[in-house]
Amino acid sequence: MTSVHPNSTTTTRFARRFLISLSRMRRPITLGPPSDEEVCRRTRRIKLAAYSSMARAVGSRRAWSRALLLKVRNRVRFQGILRNRFLASKKKRVIKRNKASGEMNKTDMLRKLVPGGETMDICGLLEETAHYMASLATQVKVMQSIVDQYSK
Amino acid sequence: MGSSGDNNDGLAFQSGGQSVVNCQSSGMGGNPFFASAWDPVVSISQHENFGGSSMLSQSELTNSPYPVVMENQGISTTSHLVHYQSGSSYVELVPKFPSYGSGSFSEMVSSFGLNECGQIANTGCHPNYTTNKEANIERTIANSAESQEDHQLTEEPITGASPDGKKRKRVGESNSSYDPNKNAEGERLKDPSGHSSDVQKEQDEKKPRTEQNSGANLRGKQSAKQAKNNSHSGEAPNENYIHVRARRGQATNSHSLAERVRREKISERMRLLQELVPGCNKITGKAVMLDEIINYVQSLQQQVEFLSMKLATVNPELSNDIEKILSKDILHPRGSNAALMGFVPGMNAHPYSHGIFPASIPVISNANPQFPSVPHTTLDNDLQSLFPNGI
Repeated sequence: MTSVHPNSTTTTRFARRFLISLSRMRRPITLGPPSDEEVCRRTRRIKLAAYSSMARAVGSRRAWSRALLLKVRNRVRFQGILRNRFLASKKKRVIKRNKASGEMNKTDMLRKLVPGGETMDICGLLEETAHYMASLATQVKVMQSIVDQYSK
Repeated sequence: MGSSGDNNDGLAFQSGGQSVVNCQSSGMGGNPFFASAWDPVVSISQHENFGGSSMLSQSELTNSPYPVVMENQGISTTSHLVHYQSGSSYVELVPKFPSYGSGSFSEMVSSFGLNECGQIANTGCHPNYTTNKEANIERTIANSAESQEDHQLTEEPITGASPDGKKRKRVGESNSSYDPNKNAEGERLKDPSGHSSDVQKEQDEKKPRTEQNSGANLRGKQSAKQAKNNSHSGEAPNENYIHVRARRGQATNSHSLAERVRREKISERMRLLQELVPGCNKITGKAVMLDEIINYVQSLQQQVEFLSMKLATVNPELSNDIEKILSKDILHPRGSNAALMGFVPGMNAHPYSHGIFPASIPVISNANPQFPSVPHTTLDNDLQSLFPNGI
């Protein structure tokens, strides 16, 4: 198995994309401190930007990044014009299979956490989790350093 | 999926590295068979042509305590290939018998005993087929006679009776003593079809072959002939399948074998995850590990949320922020652990983070104190709620 850790190119790509999207979201400082609702809204947008730039930096190599990108794209088009028809039917079958046990066990929780996790079997799910975890860690690292920069 | 479409005369391979990677097990040696040193071996192909039942068995060297399966050679006979999906077990190959080959071979094979092994491994395939078919047919016929014995011979060390060292040496010597003529043929290129994992289990289970261990009767005559035929490199194009042998003392049912392979794969992945999650070195057991993994992923996602909240409240004053930030060392943030401790407010109640991070955590100074703690929502919900608000 190849290493799960994102290499430095991925990290730099993510940082760059994220910063670009952040700079697009700047609000004029003359408006004063942001209201709660605005902060909420901005938080969500920033979070979305972080995840999508991470997924783009990773590329289509991993299943979770593909699933994330698909999700983002589908949301953007509002009603999922791009929804993958093939995937829909396969998903139903796989979800049914994965739900074989009646109750909610840990695997299901993991599936919910990892993007694209519902259509995977356990083996693939664990692998994707590993990679996803590593990328989340880099995401946190980069964002933390950005925050540090801004608060200096 | 299924049979790789190798219609060539069987022996085009590409280097073994690919197939090794595709086997998806960590820690594989993966040297191509022809290396003189003892290697983990080759991949097996499911080649169906008459000319082409070339086989290559690739065994993955892993932590398996049992001797790795050796390879194939020389026998240009055909026998059934048994396919199993294997994460980390060693591999074997059951070649298919050609028509002229031997009815007797199968009998011989069936009488062979490998200790409870599920399938028989390796017979080599015909290197002969690579080059002139005509010229080789005679040779093959000649070979097949021997090869049958060789087959047994090669089987024998695998039984597990002989220690690893012995097996290795045999293969080593057979390789080294290999007739250079034949070596030339055995250009093993492995086919890069690397869908190793998740390959047809169903197909595998359809043709299992259980061979009984015949034991001692084979041992005598084999050592002499083994040298010759072991080195017949049967290369077969790499196949999706990885062949597995049952270990000693374990059930040989094809279903249980496949299950065992699967379980090993899963446990291997869990080990990898264990290294990733901090502080999980001592945990044994899937359930607890899964709990930790889930908690860790959740905490990471929460950290992303907090960080984005913090970014939302902070107005970037720097105009050249991009270049400036990138010029700093993003990859190695100073005091990352301390920084992570800053996410306290929402994470105080989180048992996991307490376990990981030191207890005392300063409050974020920038954070808007009236801001309600961000609820933990999955990304989906956020995506969903985002768009109704409009971008």
